[in-house]
Amino acid sequence: MTRLYGEKRANLVRVFAARLRSVSEAEDLIQDLYLKVQALGEVEVEGDGSALLFRMANNLMLDRLRSQSRAGARDEGWRSLQGMVLGDQQVADVPSAEEVVAGRQRLGVMMAALETLPPQVARAFTLHKLDGLSQAETAVAMGVSRSSVEKHVSAALKALMAKLT
Amino acid sequence: MTRAQTDIDAGIADAAIDWLVRLQGETVTERDWLDFDAWLTASPAHAQAYDAVLAFDGRLDLDARRAKAEPAGAPLTAAQGGKVVPLRPARRAWIWSAGAAIAAAFVAGAVLLPASGLLGAHETTYVTGVGERRTVALEDGSRIEMNAASRMTVRFERHARRVHMGDAQAFFDVAKDSSRPFLVSAGDTQVRVVGTRFDVRHRDGQVAVNVQRGLVEVRPNLPRDAAPFRLRPGQGLSHRKGQRADARVSTVAVEEIGGWRQGRLIYRDQPLSQIAGDMNRLFPRPVKLGDAEAANMRLSGVLIVDDQDAMVDRLSHLLPVRTTTTDDAIVIRAR
Repeated sequence: MTRLYGEKRANLVRVFAARLRSVSEAEDLIQDLYLKVQALGEVEVEGDGSALLFRMANNLMLDRLRSQSRAGARDEGWRSLQGMVLGDQQVADVPSAEEVVAGRQRLGVMMAALETLPPQVARAFTLHKLDGLSQAETAVAMGVSRSSVEKHVSAALKALMAKLT
Repeated sequence: MTRAQTDIDAGIADAAIDWLVRLQGETVTERDWLDFDAWLTASPAHAQAYDAVLAFDGRLDLDARRAKAEPAGAPLTAAQGGKVVPLRPARRAWIWSAGAAIAAAFVAGAVLLPASGLLGAHETTYVTGVGERRTVALEDGSRIEMNAASRMTVRFERHARRVHMGDAQAFFDVAKDSSRPFLVSAGDTQVRVVGTRFDVRHRDGQVAVNVQRGLVEVRPNLPRDAAPFRLRPGQGLSHRKGQRADARVSTVAVEEIGGWRQGRLIYRDQPLSQIAGDMNRLFPRPVKLGDAEAANMRLSGVLIVDDQDAMVDRLSHLLPVRTTTTDDAIVIRAR
């Protein structure tokens, strides 16, 4: 199993980076998976070992999501401390002005590009990517199937990536 | 990888996007994983295309989130945050560095070498490899985020929490415990805190301490009776090992401290030699400086960590340099 883990590790990180929307969290998760795999020892695995690795990682992820509300509360706690005043100087945890401007510019270009797309495609993309609805929620909001949402978001990303990179 | 190779075939790029969107859905099955794994394994170009899409999507997410938190034209303070209710979970790290992270995935995890220290205090050494980052959660609730190619030893004693940094960079989030100060030593520099967030960089004999929150006392090779430097949020101190009275306190942008944790290398008038050193901690293929003129060039700017070739390419737009790439090394020379 450890050998198989070694082979599949990078690809597992790729899958969970999409699911967690963070490469570093995915890395961390797959690191944890290694401990579980080690604990298994060199057992003979019935069926597909690769599928088993995925299942184990998936379970670990669900465990983490369950305990995340706690960590989230802690992060919020210190974030609220960020707007502190030192002397007469405001110290804030915000991106630099240049960064904000560059980000807004990229977003502006993207919004303009979105307008050239079919309305359904642009709407699905806006709801899912910009407003943060899940794919299922987007489907409900638009009154279409989940697979249509997937197709629309995919089409929008392709058009945007072609235009912006 | 040459530039021609990074120009990925449009068909592969489309497939990569389809995969990303599928995997971001709520129902990802075992079958999806097996198919995705097979697709990735079929060609290195597939993995490369996917990583590029992941990085693009991550930046887009970040831009969108920032635009929400800071509506256009708003003053740049944190005071008016909180108006927008985030629909996504509050705690989310954002993707910057697909390339680096995937590279890191091939490096073995942090090596833990527990050993019994003096007086029975528990001592643990943490090591990260090239391209690897790691968060260490300590028993007192403190967290240390280690940058790549770093080494440090942690020892908890009854009246002190001690960290000894070798060649290393780390961001500290220290849990408050006034009965047990948190002490960091880096070369001939000592840092003392009670509870706070700060970054220490100890590379090639140069120490830099930057404070994000709280109060940090720093003794950069000071005589015993000298008062320590007291750094507040937004202040930093740098010192070269062995020098006396060379330490200077400077103002740093709070949001830039620990930028490496989000896959950004942020430089304010730093020499190219340092940037090359930083890249060599992220990627196995060495970046070398071909002449002294290049080594002494200075950069102010932000380098996003993704693909090594892409980073070097961007560097050659920021500075008057040209680069020669071979399979074993990337050589940077003055133009």
